[in-house]
Amino acid sequence: MSKLSRRKLLAAAAPLAAVPLVGKLAFDGQAEAGGHDHSSHSHPRTPASHVPGAEGHAAMIGAEVPAVGEEHDLDALLYPPPALPYGRGRLRNYELTAVDKDIEIAPGITFPAWTYNGTVPGPVIRATEGDRLRVKLANGGSHPHTIHFHGIHPANMDGVFEVVETGGSFTYEFEARPAGFHLYHCHATPLKKHIHKGLYGAFIIDPKEPRPPAKELVMVMNGYDTDADGGNNFYTVNGRSFFYAKYPIKVRRSQLVRIYLANLTEFDLVNSFHLHGDFFRYQPTGTGDNWEYTDTVMQCQGQRGVIEIQFANTGRFMFHAHQSEFAELGWMGFFEVDE
Amino acid sequence: MEAGSATARPRVGWRLWAVVPVLLLAIAVGAVVSSGSSLAELIGTNPPPADEFDIRRVEFEPGEIRILVRNPQQDDLTIANVNVDDAIVPYTVDGPTTLGRLRSSTIEVPFDWVDGDPITVGVTSSTGIETVEEVPAAIATPTPSVEGFFGYALIGVLVGVLPVALGLLWLPALRQASAAWLSAFMAFTAGLLTFLGVEALSESFELQAALPAGLGGSGLVLLGVALSFLGMTALASRLSGGAGATGFALALLVAIGIGVHNLGEGLAIGASFAIGELQLGTFLIVGFMIHNVTEGLGIAAAIAKTRVTLLALAGLALVAGAPTILGAWIGGYASSDVLAALFFGIAAGAAFQVVVEVGRYVVRQAPGGLRSGYAIGGFLAGIAAMYLTGILAG
Repeated sequence: MSKLSRRKLLAAAAPLAAVPLVGKLAFDGQAEAGGHDHSSHSHPRTPASHVPGAEGHAAMIGAEVPAVGEEHDLDALLYPPPALPYGRGRLRNYELTAVDKDIEIAPGITFPAWTYNGTVPGPVIRATEGDRLRVKLANGGSHPHTIHFHGIHPANMDGVFEVVETGGSFTYEFEARPAGFHLYHCHATPLKKHIHKGLYGAFIIDPKEPRPPAKELVMVMNGYDTDADGGNNFYTVNGRSFFYAKYPIKVRRSQLVRIYLANLTEFDLVNSFHLHGDFFRYQPTGTGDNWEYTDTVMQCQGQRGVIEIQFANTGRFMFHAHQSEFAELGWMGFFEVDE
Repeated sequence: MEAGSATARPRVGWRLWAVVPVLLLAIAVGAVVSSGSSLAELIGTNPPPADEFDIRRVEFEPGEIRILVRNPQQDDLTIANVNVDDAIVPYTVDGPTTLGRLRSSTIEVPFDWVDGDPITVGVTSSTGIETVEEVPAAIATPTPSVEGFFGYALIGVLVGVLPVALGLLWLPALRQASAAWLSAFMAFTAGLLTFLGVEALSESFELQAALPAGLGGSGLVLLGVALSFLGMTALASRLSGGAGATGFALALLVAIGIGVHNLGEGLAIGASFAIGELQLGTFLIVGFMIHNVTEGLGIAAAIAKTRVTLLALAGLALVAGAPTILGAWIGGYASSDVLAALFFGIAAGAAFQVVVEVGRYVVRQAPGGLRSGYAIGGFLAGIAAMYLTGILAG
C-alpha cells in the first residue's frame, strides 16, 4: 500500500507565496475552499458508521461472551471454605505447591503462569482468629518462591527471607490475626514478575464473633500482561476474563451476600468494583466498624475489603471495574438475582 | 546416423549433469529439515517466535471494521483475540484462524465506530502477543461506485492529463528555439526524468522495507527496475529501428516514461486518500498540476523539430497523463503492498531508460554534446524545477 509521506504533505503550503502565478492559483483555490475546514473534514457524521445493534457490547452477554471453560470451573475460588467457630489454638493445615503452568485466561489465549496449586489466583486460605496456621510451601516451579502473608506474625514467618528454591519446601506457622480479609503472595524478587505471573491468593481470617450467616463469595481482581510490555492485556476476577459475564453468579434477593474483594492487579495502580442497580456496605480490609455505603469502591494494589449486600430487586445486574478499559478487557460480570 | 547420435549424446549428458546439483541439494535440504531443531541445540536455544501479525489494511464499513492480517513469520500464528480501542470485541474470521507462513485472513468486527476519530485495532495471538495498528482517522473505505469511479477519474484528469496537455502547448514556442536552446530543453527533460526515477526508486525501497522479510527485499525493487529498463530498451530499438530514437519515437518514449511514473502518482494519491491518510485538498491538486506541467514541456522538446498531427499530440498527452487515472482507481480500490513496491521499481527503470535515450539524443544533437553549458544547465534546471514544484504537490 503506497502512501504519501507526512513530510511531503506538511511542506505543501510553504512555497506558495514565493511564486506569483502559483500564489494566485492558490488564492483562488482557497476562496473556492471557503468551507474547506468544515466540508472536507465532515464526512456524513453519524449515518456512515452507525448501524443499530452493531455495538461491540451487544455480544458480551450470555453464550456469545468470549470466556473460557464450564460454569463451575471457578467454584473453588469463588466460594470459600466455610468459616469455623472460634477455637483457641486449633491447628489449621494448608499445603501450597508452586507450579509453572500454562493457563487459558481467555478463549485461545494461554498465559505461562506461576501458580499456587495450579490456579490463578491460588486457593482461598481461611482461618478463624486465634487458630494456629501451618502452611507448607513446596516449590515445584522453576524459580525460587516464598509466601508472604498479610497480617500479624513473627519476622521469620514473613516470606521475605525464607526463599524456597526449586524442589525445596518451607512451613510457615503463626497465629491467625487480626480478623479481616487479607492476602498472600510470593515475595521473591523480582517482585513485580513473581506477583503478576500469578502467585497470590485470598486469605480470610474470621473474627471470634462470627459474621452474620451469608452467601459468601471471593473475588480477586487481577490482570495479565500477555505480551510482557509492562501493561495488562486482560483483566479478570478470579482469573478468567468475562467468566461471570458468561456464567452469572446466582444469588437470592432475600439473602445476605458477602463478597471478599481484593485487588492483586499489577502495573495498574488501582482497580475498582462497581455494582449496578443497588448499593452495598463496604468494610475496608474487613476490619473495624468503619463501613461505607456506596456502589463503587476503589482499591490500590494489595488493598481489599468486605462487601455486604441484600439485593433490593431481582433480575440481572452487572458488576465491573469502573475503569471502562478494564471492564472492556474482561473485568465484567453479572449477578442473577432470583426471588 | 553416427554423426547425429554423436552430437545428441553429449547434449543429453549436459542436461543430466545439470540436474545432479539440484538433486543433491534436495537431499541436503531434506536432511536439514528432518533434523528439526537439533542443529540449533548444538549451539544454544532458538528464541521464541515474535508471534506478531502483519496488519495489512484496516477497512471501515457502516457498523463494521475489517482487519486484513498476515502471518509474517515461519511458525503458525493463531488469531485468538481482537481489541478495538483497548476493548475486547466479538469478531468473526473470513479465512483460516490459524495462519501458515505468509497466509492472510480478514477479521470482521461488528463495531459502531466514530467517523473521523483516530482508532486503534489490536490482534492478539494465542500466545498473548498483541499487534496494534493505529488508524489516524476512521473513515468509510470507498467501495466501487459510479460516482467514486468518476471522482477518481476526474482527479486523474486534473493532475495527469490536463497539465501534460498544457505543457505540450509549449511546442510552438520550442519550434522557434535555436538548436542550442533546444538541447537545453532536452537536457531539462533528462533532468526531470532522473528526478522522477529517483523518486520512484526511493518510494519503492520504502515500500519493500515495510513488507515482511519473507516478501520484501531489495531484489523486488531490482526486479522491477530491470524489467522495465530492459523492456523499454527493446521498445526503443524497435521504435527507432536500431538507431538512436529521435522525433516522435523519442517523444513517445518520454511520454511512456512519464506515464508509468504518473500511474504511480495516481496510485499514491488514491491509496492515501482511501486509507484516510490524505486530505484531498485544493493545495494538493493545484500542486500536482503545476508539478506535472513541466512533464508536458519534456515531451514537447523531443518533437520540436518534427511535424506531428494534433491527434498524435493528443495521443502523447494521454500516454503520459491518462495512467494517473488508472493509478488512482487501483490505489483507491485495490492496492497491494507487494505489487506497489514492484510497480515503483518498474516506474524507476522506465524513467532511467528514457534518460539514457534522451542523453544519446543530446549527445548527437547538441552543439558541444553533453558537456555544453546548455546541456548541463538544462539538466540541472530540470531537477530543480521538479524539486521546487514537487514541494507544492506534497
